[in-house]
Amino acid sequence: MSKNVLMRLDHITRTYIMGEVRVEALKETSLDIYAGELLVILGPSGSGKSTLLNIVGGMDLPSEGSVHYAGDELSRAGDARLTRYRRNEVGFVFQFYNLIPDLTAVENVELAANLVETPLPASGMLKEVGLADRMGHFPSQLSGGEQQRVSIARAMVKNPRLLLCDEPTGALDHQTGKLVLSLLAGINRDRGSTVIIVTHNTDISAMAHRVVRMRSGEIAEIIENSQPVPPERIDW
Amino acid sequence: MGVLLKKLFRTIWNTRGQFLAVTAVVAVGITVYIAMTTSYYNLNHSRDEFYRDNNFADYYFHVVRAPEQITRQIESVPGVAAVNGRLQKDVPLVREGDQKATARITSYPVPMEGINRIQLLSGRLFERYPQGGGVEVLVDPQFFTANRLSFNDTISIVSEGRKVSLSVVGTGIGPEFTFAMKDAATLMPDPETFGLVMMPLNQAQQALNLPGQINQVIIKLSPGADEKEVAGRIEELLEPYGNLSSYPLKKQLSHAILQGELDGLKAVSGFMPFIFLSIAAAIQIVMLGRMIRGQRLQIGIMKAMGYNNRQIITYYTSYSLSSSLMGALLGSVAGIGLASVISEVYAEFFNLPRAIGGVNTTSVITGFALSLSVGAAAGLAASRRVTKVNPAEAMRPEPPKNAGKIFLERLPRLWELLDSTWKMSLRTALRNRGRFALMLVGVTFSVGLLVMSLFASDSIDYMINKQYFQDQRYDYLVRFASPLKENDLLDISRIEGVIKAEPVFEIPVKIHFQGKTQEDSLQGIPRDSTLKRLENQEGRPLSIPGEGLLISEKTADKLGARVGDRVEIETLLGTGPSRRASVKVVQINRQLVGGGSYVSLEQANQVIQERRLASGVMLKVDPGRFVALEEELNDMNNVSSISSRQKELDNFNKNLEAMVYSIAIMVIFAVVMGFAIVYNSSVISFAERKRELASLRVLGFTSREVSGLLLKENLFQSILGVAIGLPFGRLMSQGYINAVSTDLFTIPVVIYPLTYFWSALGGVFFIAVAHLLAVRGVKRLDLVDVLKNRD
Ligand SMILES: Nc1ncnc2c1ncn2[C@@H]1O[C@H](COP(=O)(O)OP(=O)(O)O)[C@@H](O)[C@H]1O
Ligand SMILES: [Mg+2]
Repeated sequence: MSKNVLMRLDHITRTYIMGEVRVEALKETSLDIYAGELLVILGPSGSGKSTLLNIVGGMDLPSEGSVHYAGDELSRAGDARLTRYRRNEVGFVFQFYNLIPDLTAVENVELAANLVETPLPASGMLKEVGLADRMGHFPSQLSGGEQQRVSIARAMVKNPRLLLCDEPTGALDHQTGKLVLSLLAGINRDRGSTVIIVTHNTDISAMAHRVVRMRSGEIAEIIENSQPVPPERIDW
Repeated sequence: MGVLLKKLFRTIWNTRGQFLAVTAVVAVGITVYIAMTTSYYNLNHSRDEFYRDNNFADYYFHVVRAPEQITRQIESVPGVAAVNGRLQKDVPLVREGDQKATARITSYPVPMEGINRIQLLSGRLFERYPQGGGVEVLVDPQFFTANRLSFNDTISIVSEGRKVSLSVVGTGIGPEFTFAMKDAATLMPDPETFGLVMMPLNQAQQALNLPGQINQVIIKLSPGADEKEVAGRIEELLEPYGNLSSYPLKKQLSHAILQGELDGLKAVSGFMPFIFLSIAAAIQIVMLGRMIRGQRLQIGIMKAMGYNNRQIITYYTSYSLSSSLMGALLGSVAGIGLASVISEVYAEFFNLPRAIGGVNTTSVITGFALSLSVGAAAGLAASRRVTKVNPAEAMRPEPPKNAGKIFLERLPRLWELLDSTWKMSLRTALRNRGRFALMLVGVTFSVGLLVMSLFASDSIDYMINKQYFQDQRYDYLVRFASPLKENDLLDISRIEGVIKAEPVFEIPVKIHFQGKTQEDSLQGIPRDSTLKRLENQEGRPLSIPGEGLLISEKTADKLGARVGDRVEIETLLGTGPSRRASVKVVQINRQLVGGGSYVSLEQANQVIQERRLASGVMLKVDPGRFVALEEELNDMNNVSSISSRQKELDNFNKNLEAMVYSIAIMVIFAVVMGFAIVYNSSVISFAERKRELASLRVLGFTSREVSGLLLKENLFQSILGVAIGLPFGRLMSQGYINAVSTDLFTIPVVIYPLTYFWSALGGVFFIAVAHLLAVRGVKRLDLVDVLKNRD
């Protein structure tokens, strides 16, 4: 696999100030993200994983340091530029699915599809995640796993280069979690999208090309995995 | 945008109660706006056309009598575009069964031309010399109908002691008779006893025994002419013929009344929609604000996906725009309907022959524009906060709201008296400042509007009671064709049933003071009169002085005269020479209806240099004898008119029907607005605290206790709103009266305690209903579901 840098995080720090308390969620962190890789960010709760992912996804900006994406400096971008970046380049999957409650499954996917000029077909995406017969259901009528699959379809319908998943299996049972992870691995393999999965579950890291271990706002180590295991074969 | 549109519709459907409540307030605002502006436009337009079509005069000059030819001289005064000389006089009219009425004779040229022409409404115009002799006249349509006349019927007037028969050939109306009222002292036109009789000049001269003479000159000014200067020159020319009075168009009675109505309509058509639309905007802002706060997470997701601020703001603004659009649609339909009802009432009230109804497209378009801008402004104001939603942060649970102390907690003694549910309710109520303010202002306005809707009937009731029962203690006022010796009154006082008779002497006068002049009516009454009560500006009774004038408040104001000043009185009797007398002002008298400056009967006689004369008599009569007395009076030759308190009141009450409807409509509007505000506020506070309330239910609170908690939250603002609303309603009523008051009449702002009571009760009613509807959900609260889910 050619190591083509898609995104470069250079000494980024993210400080939250809450009254008199300053929380350094990220401390001078540097990381290169390669095009087409499946990256797992691993760490205990509160170690700064989500903060890092949000900055990668253009939802948040670092307090210090720089973020480059395909040659552009995102850390200097304004709101409009960031929105465009999220719209065209990024798909998000969240722990709690975060579907819009008063839209059906297919409408949730269309909501995202409408944002780009050449989206993938919304119903096709739902078929791909195995929900062909659930299109007209509202989120409240779907199980957690189904909701998460809708949310993956919603993220992928824009055909983004980056698919960012924050604890995608955190609210799911073992079996359903595996299903979701194989969907993500499949997307990375078949579409060539860069997939980043944030998790506190060490076992999941077996499926990654690279694993970034975080501890209290810092990258403790980066492990290359020459033999990624398909999620179906992982147990936790 | 298709998906968002679907989401919008679903959101509207899910919040339909609130949506409809706001829509109703918008609809009411637009209804009022369209109804009022359309009515204004219609009334104004049809008046202007009527004036233009019939060449409404710019200036009026009344003289005792002048030769017809004087108009030639007046014509040549620079600035005068057209002149018309005519006769106008009020004479007794004998109705069927010998009942007395008053006919206002007005003469016209034949063929009909010049100024203040008649518009023929039915029948045909009169001829100068009808075949087969006789006198042909037109009468006003109200008189025609009220007296059940038909064409070629004969009516008789009494002039110079002679009975003259007139043949009615049609009905018509002129621009100076849009409101056919005898004089400013009358409450309402009474077409049964006051009629306009229009006839050719030559016939009028003969009937009134004034051959070759006129007693009025009306003119049209040329564009740019100086009204005052022209009037001054004409008055000089008319000086030898006994100037009685002269006034410009804007002082002409029917015009002034019509203008007063228009001014009132204009003021109200701005003020009322403003209230409703502002309240609607406030509800929209609070509602959307709550929705946006509740959907923080959804907004975060949409932003994470790549939706920008503009798209999200547009989405939320569409919600308020939808309610505005729907409100405008409903409001237009209702407004157009209401406008046609109001226009119909006006058409009945004013003599405007032109079709007065019709849809005014401009006001409908403006209504839509107003409504949509309110919706857009409210939507934008509320959804500004969307820009502050940071997608990364929105995914985290909302940080706790500032939990500072409320002011009540600084009063520890009071605070400690409250139980914990009260503390909880009060804290929530006072921390949500926007909603607190909305509810307070909304309830205040609604209750204020209730007071304002109901007060008119109090004021009128008070006015009638004061005028007709406290100040005027007589049942009849009989006027004579020519003054009688006081002794001759004995004939009348001896009629069976007359309990008391007191003579009066009414003299039309001009009162001069320091170069200013004001027309007035001088009323001479006996010093020991018990049938007429007068009072000063503070409401204390006045007694008639032996010497000196109780000047009317209006005249005193106009002249700037004060107690102790000497004013000059000039009589305008129209018969005999004009007299002048200097009189000292001893007191100022205030009256609600009409006016008049009072002196003793002796002094009135002195002014016209006569002794012991009376022009009329006030009678207090045994109620059982009313009919018989009227019959006897009608038979008396020298009696020119009989005004009966009973009949004036009946006539007035007939005209009150429209008012009852308008009060009912206003009350409904006020209640709708109050309901909408309380309902929305309650629904919002319920929705916002579902989890908290569900936890209370889990703790063991009953659903009734939880509803009670919500009620307590609303109670504070509600009670405060009602309390402020009552005096605020008084203020609004005062403002309304100031807007509609004219020179001719002011209505006192009187509000009976019962009205405050009803308004407060109305407030409690809409608060209770709205609250009950809003907390229906407490019973259906699904504990497991609410506690499981994040918002
Ligand atoms: N918006 C915020 N305001 C204040 N502190 C925050 C905020 N977001 C994250 N933090 C803090 O930053 C640290 C890292 O958080 P996060 O990146 O969410 O950790 P993780 O996703 O690894 O559990 C935590 O201590 C957290 O409390
Ligand atoms: Mg996290």
